[in-house]
Amino acid sequence: MTPDLGPAYAVIRRGLVLTILGIVGVGVVMLLAIQFTPVEARQGLAQKIFYIHVPSATVTLWIAMPLTGLASCLYLWLHDLRFDRFAAVSAEVASVFCLVVLTTGPIWAKPIWGTWWTWDGRLTLTLFLFFLLLGYHTLRAAVRDPVERGRFSAVISIMGVVLVPFIHLSVYLWRGLHPQPIVMKPSAPSLPPEMLRTLLIGIAVFILMYAGMVTLRYGIQLVRDVREAADAA
Amino acid sequence: MPPDNGRYMVAAYIVAGVVYLTYVISLIVRARREMK
Repeated sequence: MTPDLGPAYAVIRRGLVLTILGIVGVGVVMLLAIQFTPVEARQGLAQKIFYIHVPSATVTLWIAMPLTGLASCLYLWLHDLRFDRFAAVSAEVASVFCLVVLTTGPIWAKPIWGTWWTWDGRLTLTLFLFFLLLGYHTLRAAVRDPVERGRFSAVISIMGVVLVPFIHLSVYLWRGLHPQPIVMKPSAPSLPPEMLRTLLIGIAVFILMYAGMVTLRYGIQLVRDVREAADAA
Repeated sequence: MPPDNGRYMVAAYIVAGVVYLTYVISLIVRARREMK
């Protein structure tokens, strides 16, 4: 029997449109940052790394990881494989965003702190989160049974979500080189309006790109799962 | 006078662009393969 792949193809097409919009948006944010946002007096042009580093970190910590954890909790509760599929897809995209955080951070650190890396609490915990995500993908690749795979990987992803508040609070808990938040804090953001505007546009665009990547990757996995189910039947 | 460190900004933008574009291209390749 030939499976009906129309709905899955529609998800792929929707994801593709959103992803392309997101990628174009990232280009616009880079242009906005370089051309239409003032240069910070003490840090110079290197400070403009902020407009890709912070949105990538925001998506990793406050969008991708919480949604991965939520989907994992829902899978453990309802045993619906759609939640497991979403968690796996969101964790994959979170790894990509986390990789950008971990590569752009040291490039920014070198001219400002004088070193590529320091075992500061925030940097170390973010690296732990990345390794945890790598472990998550390795586990999923190793376990064949979908129910066991979903259960084990859900527990790992929830452990990743538990790391998020520690990553956020690490700059208050331990003295280090990483600066404290300048937007996500109880008082008003301490940024000039032009810089804040570029940052907020950046965060919106990176969320759009995350949504596009997740939708596209979900559609691909859906096609595979539908085909696999049809083959097994 | 701000310090002259624009090359770090360029490097970071290129690295981020390469990571995101590589992932998107891998997604497009996988999508095309599944839609054949």
